[in-house]
Amino acid sequence: MTSAEKLQALQHDVDFFVGATEHTPLATLPNWGSLAVLLVILHCETKYDLVVTGPQVRGCKTVGDLLKLLP
Amino acid sequence: MHSSITNVRLAGLAVSTGSLTRDFITDGLALGLDRVMLERTAQTIGLRQRKVAAPGITALDLCEDAARRLLDAAGLDASSIDAVIFVTQTPDHSQPNNASLLHGRLGLATGAAAFDLSLGCSGWVYGLQQAALLCAHGGAARVLLCAGDTLSRLTHAKDRSTDPLFGDAGSAALIERTGLAAAWHFELGADGAGANAIIVPQGGARMPHDSKPLTEIPDLDGNVRHAANLSMQGGEVFNFSLRQAPPAVAAVMRHAHYTVEATDGLVLHQANRFVITTVGRKCGFPAEKTPSDVVERYGNQSSASIPCALIHAFTEPLSARSLRLVLCGFGVGWSWGAVAAEFGPLVIAPIQPYPYSA
Repeated sequence: MTSAEKLQALQHDVDFFVGATEHTPLATLPNWGSLAVLLVILHCETKYDLVVTGPQVRGCKTVGDLLKLLP
Repeated sequence: MHSSITNVRLAGLAVSTGSLTRDFITDGLALGLDRVMLERTAQTIGLRQRKVAAPGITALDLCEDAARRLLDAAGLDASSIDAVIFVTQTPDHSQPNNASLLHGRLGLATGAAAFDLSLGCSGWVYGLQQAALLCAHGGAARVLLCAGDTLSRLTHAKDRSTDPLFGDAGSAALIERTGLAAAWHFELGADGAGANAIIVPQGGARMPHDSKPLTEIPDLDGNVRHAANLSMQGGEVFNFSLRQAPPAVAAVMRHAHYTVEATDGLVLHQANRFVITTVGRKCGFPAEKTPSDVVERYGNQSSASIPCALIHAFTEPLSARSLRLVLCGFGVGWSWGAVAAEFGPLVIAPIQPYPYSA
């Protein structure tokens, strides 16, 4: 998958990311917080069968950093 | 660790909840939080209301009420109980244990054993395994298993990662020796590497309650707690649940030769709907076989959540006949326990708040 496709899939599952680009800092997303972290973890598990940890997600600065966690 | 235990039956169940109702949206608005975000969280995680204990009421009180109602419903005298096991992480005192206190309150025979298990959300399955062992191999004919907590007392009102989640409840179950040969298949496990993911740091022997001032510290999300509050790393708990519960469920089903189709229900620890539906799906069970609405009425009841879900979802069939069920609890420790067994028919005392008039 391309980064654009991964972002589209993420936006489909977690609408907190609607309107964001790869360069968007996560901290600037209006609802970035523990619920968003959970939803990202769930997205990784259901979409990619991939286990990512809370600290991994928290360690990302931008949406692009998040996408790099994905296969 | 796997074990298969025969010649035991579950004879009865009862649950007493806290008597005060807390509403997720109302509480959030009182803290000045945004209604839209609150409603979104309520919808996503499955938070609506929870029952918490009235001031002065402890897990011991809730379990005593459940035990008395269960004995009444079963027509049994307390003197017929050979052992009482109390699963809790919120005992009345560090010494003596809750089981001994309950032993005294119920007037059990002095020959009846009494001990606590310090476990949370996995605790009911652990306790069930211990009770079954006592009946099958330990000389007991009837064991009273009580499990409950008042975790709402441990959370900080401004910690939205814990405070809206927990309800208070106490459960009672009767496990009996019987001639039935059908085995209960257990899988118990633990991973101490996750011990800090759910923790109350201060108040035990390592960090006594008076060892340092309780300074309130905000986290990255603005949640506030001090060292004697319950702290939970939600993402790690979620990952742990997805990692450990499905293999444990698969293992007990394999030992019991159960298929999803031939199993009447998968009853998971009622953490929240988000966790239950995800873990249930990963276990291969359809939503209609995985009760998930208990937590929206009562909150996360720690070790009392599985018996509460059994009563809530299966009272009618369990009262009348035998069901093939798979139960799985997972949480603090990390620890987890699963069991596949045929339960029922059994005596059920309904879910009730305690005290009734509050």
